[in-house]
Amino acid sequence: MVLNGLLKTIRKIYFGHNIVLWMILVVLPIGVSLFTVGMFSSQIVQHVPIGIVIQDNSQLADKLEAKLRSSPVLDIKMVCPDMGECEHAVVRGDIQGFIVLPNDLERRALRLEAPVIPVYSSGQNYLTNMFTTKEIRAVLSAAGSELFTAQMADPVKVQIHSVGNLKSNYQGFLVLGLVTAIFHLAAMIVGVFVLSFPLRDHRVKEMLGYAGGSRFTLWFASVFPMNIILWLETVGCYAYCHRLLAPLTLDEFVITAAAQLFMILACSGAGVVFVGLTGVMRMATGAAGVIGSPAFAFAGQTFPVMAMPFAVRCFAFVLPLTHVLMIQSTMLLGDVDMAPAWESMKILIGMALFWNILGAFLMSMRWKQFARRETEYEDKMRTDSEASA
Amino acid sequence: MIRRLWKVAFAEWKLIYTDPAAVLLLVVAGLIYAFYYPVPYVYQTVSKVPVAVVDLDNTAMSRELVRMASAAQQIEVKAIYPEMKQAETAMARDEIYGFMVIPENMEKNIRGKHQTTVNIFTHGAYVMFHGAIGTAFSTCALTIGATNKVKQIAMSKQVPSTKAIAMRDPFPVSIQTLYNSTGGYANYVVPSVLVVILQQSLIIGICVLGGSRAHRRFRKKLRDSPVENESLPYRYFGRSLAYFVHYCSFILFYHCIVYNIFDFPRRGELLPMVVFSVVFLASVINFGMVVSQMFLRRESSMQLFLYMSIPVLFLANFSWPAYLMPSWMTAISYILPSTFAVPAWLSIEQMGADIYDVAPKLYQLAIQAVVYLVLGLVLTRARDKAKIDIGDM
Repeated sequence: MVLNGLLKTIRKIYFGHNIVLWMILVVLPIGVSLFTVGMFSSQIVQHVPIGIVIQDNSQLADKLEAKLRSSPVLDIKMVCPDMGECEHAVVRGDIQGFIVLPNDLERRALRLEAPVIPVYSSGQNYLTNMFTTKEIRAVLSAAGSELFTAQMADPVKVQIHSVGNLKSNYQGFLVLGLVTAIFHLAAMIVGVFVLSFPLRDHRVKEMLGYAGGSRFTLWFASVFPMNIILWLETVGCYAYCHRLLAPLTLDEFVITAAAQLFMILACSGAGVVFVGLTGVMRMATGAAGVIGSPAFAFAGQTFPVMAMPFAVRCFAFVLPLTHVLMIQSTMLLGDVDMAPAWESMKILIGMALFWNILGAFLMSMRWKQFARRETEYEDKMRTDSEASA
Repeated sequence: MIRRLWKVAFAEWKLIYTDPAAVLLLVVAGLIYAFYYPVPYVYQTVSKVPVAVVDLDNTAMSRELVRMASAAQQIEVKAIYPEMKQAETAMARDEIYGFMVIPENMEKNIRGKHQTTVNIFTHGAYVMFHGAIGTAFSTCALTIGATNKVKQIAMSKQVPSTKAIAMRDPFPVSIQTLYNSTGGYANYVVPSVLVVILQQSLIIGICVLGGSRAHRRFRKKLRDSPVENESLPYRYFGRSLAYFVHYCSFILFYHCIVYNIFDFPRRGELLPMVVFSVVFLASVINFGMVVSQMFLRRESSMQLFLYMSIPVLFLANFSWPAYLMPSWMTAISYILPSTFAVPAWLSIEQMGADIYDVAPKLYQLAIQAVVYLVLGLVLTRARDKAKIDIGDM
């Protein structure tokens, strides 16, 4: 009897010609995730457009230009007659920076006067500027060391390794976090939609009727399928993005998937709470958007949480996304020590329980209120029609 | 004529301020996000990142390297470990975000004129830590190497140390940052995000208010009201005027107040800023008018555009270059005003571009505005002719 009611309610909620629900539950989160992955498909920064001002007409200047042209990271788009032209090109966004090979470069270098080569970068694009300046420095230093001390190797060589992301690809760095952030937002929006559309469409009595009058059955039928669907999508999209990095072991996969499940539960629970508090889909969606959309900026993957002000760190702590990203990043390091992941997991479990219990309580009250309202409205309509008859 | 336009515009403002969802999107979001987004990045740069050193050499030179690393501004050496396993465990516990391994026999190798390799490990999940830790540690290690190389050159070539320095590095590189001299993360990310916030909130706001609607439920209620029954051009342009004036005040607010509070570079000249505001808002408003005709329920636009916020941000070219994206994605990005507006805004406001520098991007925004205007008028007319019971708005 209870199971019948449950299945019937699920059918009515999820298969009642509700295209918008399937759009926001399946099509948009998966579509946006794959779109984001595709955006970073080139993985590393290459062919950054730069300019060059050659004031020195010498063999050394030609050699430096040739070396810069052969770098895969750089693309010399402009050879400017003067600095002003290159600067305007930077302002227009045509190039990211420019190098000036100054007058008498070769002569002064051969006389050991150490002429300085100025490199001007726009500074307005963090990633490309970082790669550009690093590459220009490396190319020019290598050329410099060949001039007088070609036979003498540098005593110290440095190798930088990015643990868990061996190729240091931008996709590895960012996309795993971005995809999780998309589902963090999706869970809130879907939570709001599923619980608020019966209120919007005045169908609370009808839904309660399918659930055999049980508010618990209605709540379970509302939240269970969406959480499972969103969780499976999250795990699938995450695994798809992770294919470029070192494969996860079974333990790591289980911990990551569990963390994602609790994140989905916590976020959909928060969405339910917004509906319980406002009672209006538009307002609850707005609240979910205000909190969920910028969550990635606060979660510490692009800009570290430790460098944020205290109040912002508190807000970041309240976001489930912060803790999932911590677990995901710990799993990138391999099986060094899984114990730290459990601290974040406990917080996620706590959040999932808190938001769901609060959401269930608030929705129970809302359903009661809306069912009463619908009954009063029906009575009024009946009385009016009888009076008019 | 002007009076009729203003009458519609005033009616629209009244509607905005009497609809809580519209207030949230068109007033509160623009104000809150202006402070909400920059606050995490208020310290601009990452400093004192906790790191460790694994000293397998344990000599005077390795201790000198540790002392140099401790003095670096970007990092803070939290521990010195005798073996790598301890450093790996500390990194897994988020106690440190990177470590440097000083190899065994480093001093012996350097003194014996053999090359030695210093390995630096950073946490693969954090791009900013990777940059800060890598730069700090490699600068220290390369300085040790450079000092020893200068000594070797001086001794082998019998030259004074100044000449030996010049022989090691005959043409030093000096890197100058033109428009973000502090290298601040907020200076880089927030101005672009502010443009995207203006666009997204305006589009969703227009959709929530039904654009130049013919399908809203209240039109049934207000079908006798003169504004709702105004002819199409007056209705369309009057409402556009309301949004335009409303969002001009936001641009002014960002330029005069938000930029001042957070100390972002403010080099915008009056003429390019005015032209930018006109073409950008015209493009976004007309785009919103077009999109609003496609939704049967007002909140559907919120659900769609909230999902779109992340791709829209990355398609705007400021974070990931467009030439590295697949060409079909670049083509899609031309639909959005932010693709041209973000670079134009950065050129004007951050770099002080004049009108000629940004003209190509402003032309593209103007073309978008015209195309969306025509589409908006056509779709509104189609809506006007449709039955009033379409949707439930």
